[in-house]
Amino acid sequence: MANSRQQQLSTKAQRRAAQRSEEMRKQQAAARRRTRLLVAGGVILVIVVVVGVLVAVGLNSSSSKSPSSTAASTDVISSVTGVPQSTFDKIGAGDIKARPSTISSTPLTQNGKPRVLYAGAEYCPYCAAERWAMVAALSRFGTFKDLGQTQSSGTDVYPNTATLSFHGASYTSKYLAFTGLELQDTNGKTLDTPSPADGKLISKYDAQQYTGAQSGGIPFVLMGGKFVISGASYDPAVLKGLSHQQIAQQLSDPSSDVAKAVLGTANVITSDLCQLTKNQPAKVCSSPGVVAAK
Amino acid sequence: MSDVTAAVRRTAAPRWSLVSALVLCVVGLGISIYLAIEHATAGTSLACPATGRIDCVKVTTSSYSEIFGIPVAYLGVAYFVVATALAFLALSSTAGSLALARVVVAVAGILFVLYLVWAELFRIHAICLWCTGVHVVTFLVFAVTVLGEALRDPDAVD
Repeated sequence: MANSRQQQLSTKAQRRAAQRSEEMRKQQAAARRRTRLLVAGGVILVIVVVVGVLVAVGLNSSSSKSPSSTAASTDVISSVTGVPQSTFDKIGAGDIKARPSTISSTPLTQNGKPRVLYAGAEYCPYCAAERWAMVAALSRFGTFKDLGQTQSSGTDVYPNTATLSFHGASYTSKYLAFTGLELQDTNGKTLDTPSPADGKLISKYDAQQYTGAQSGGIPFVLMGGKFVISGASYDPAVLKGLSHQQIAQQLSDPSSDVAKAVLGTANVITSDLCQLTKNQPAKVCSSPGVVAAK
Repeated sequence: MSDVTAAVRRTAAPRWSLVSALVLCVVGLGISIYLAIEHATAGTSLACPATGRIDCVKVTTSSYSEIFGIPVAYLGVAYFVVATALAFLALSSTAGSLALARVVVAVAGILFVLYLVWAELFRIHAICLWCTGVHVVTFLVFAVTVLGEALRDPDAVD
């Protein structure tokens, strides 16, 4: 009987010891789990902080060392705005890659004249290419003042493409009205803000259903509500490595790739503009180069 | 003989972390496949987006879009294929080696994401929203994986 009593006591003690051991094990496991959670949480927090710092510093850093827009040199302006008719005529449609698209829309006019609305940005290399052709074409209908010159972004495709800028420029013509909006400078900072009406036009017509290209692309040009351009009309590579002066000089050589691309595009744009102006001025609209570019 | 025996339990990371990781991996895989297709069929558009800094094409066609000649988009698909497979296996297996593999893959993913974010912000100077989506998913996969493993019972025996 005494042995039985002793056995019972021994079993109870063993159970209590086992229970204490189990509780201690659970507490140790919980402590280890808390430590692991702290480490995991700390690592996640460090990553969040690192990414936050990267984003904060990165978004505020300058994206390009390209110079900001300056007034265009008179030599360059003279060359691009005063291309001889004979040069245009020798080129015809030249090396244009993408013609303006024809759309059906409410006519876009200003003061009784067909209106051309351009939206681009100074950082944009495709805008850089298109502006040469646009200035050459529009100069056949009117006169630009205070055109700027700049370079496209140094970190984008076709880096540092020499170009003109419509920011701060004005255009006078008895045939056409023109608005040139450079939405951002080379570094991506806001330049021109479209009016609410122009913003609606850009939002509506800079769409794939009208342009056939990606929606919201620049350069975007809406001509009289009848034609749209989205993107560069020729390969910006022809301007690679050329200065403003070199581009302007090559415009006078109809055999150069620059002239074929820029002036060919200008002829095509001119032929569309002539449809808006009812073929005025007649000397331009009936010229062989414009007729060939139709 | 004691009737309180040492319990041999099979435990895993919490179910919510395993399911979340799997769902996130599938989402990441979907976005990666889209980016891979976009890379393979690189557009010939001669236009810039009007938003400047947000430019997926610029990011996905930059020199940083390839590592040792392999498009990052394809590496992303490979990463999420592996991560998805591991996440799926983890639903039915508590193997320690599997857990270790999941953590290693998650860590590798987040380190690569940090490199890509640096490249976007300091070298390419443009952000791709789709790429950012993949980065966010990768981070969330990392977070739920390490938190889930942190909550695993350390005394579990397979």
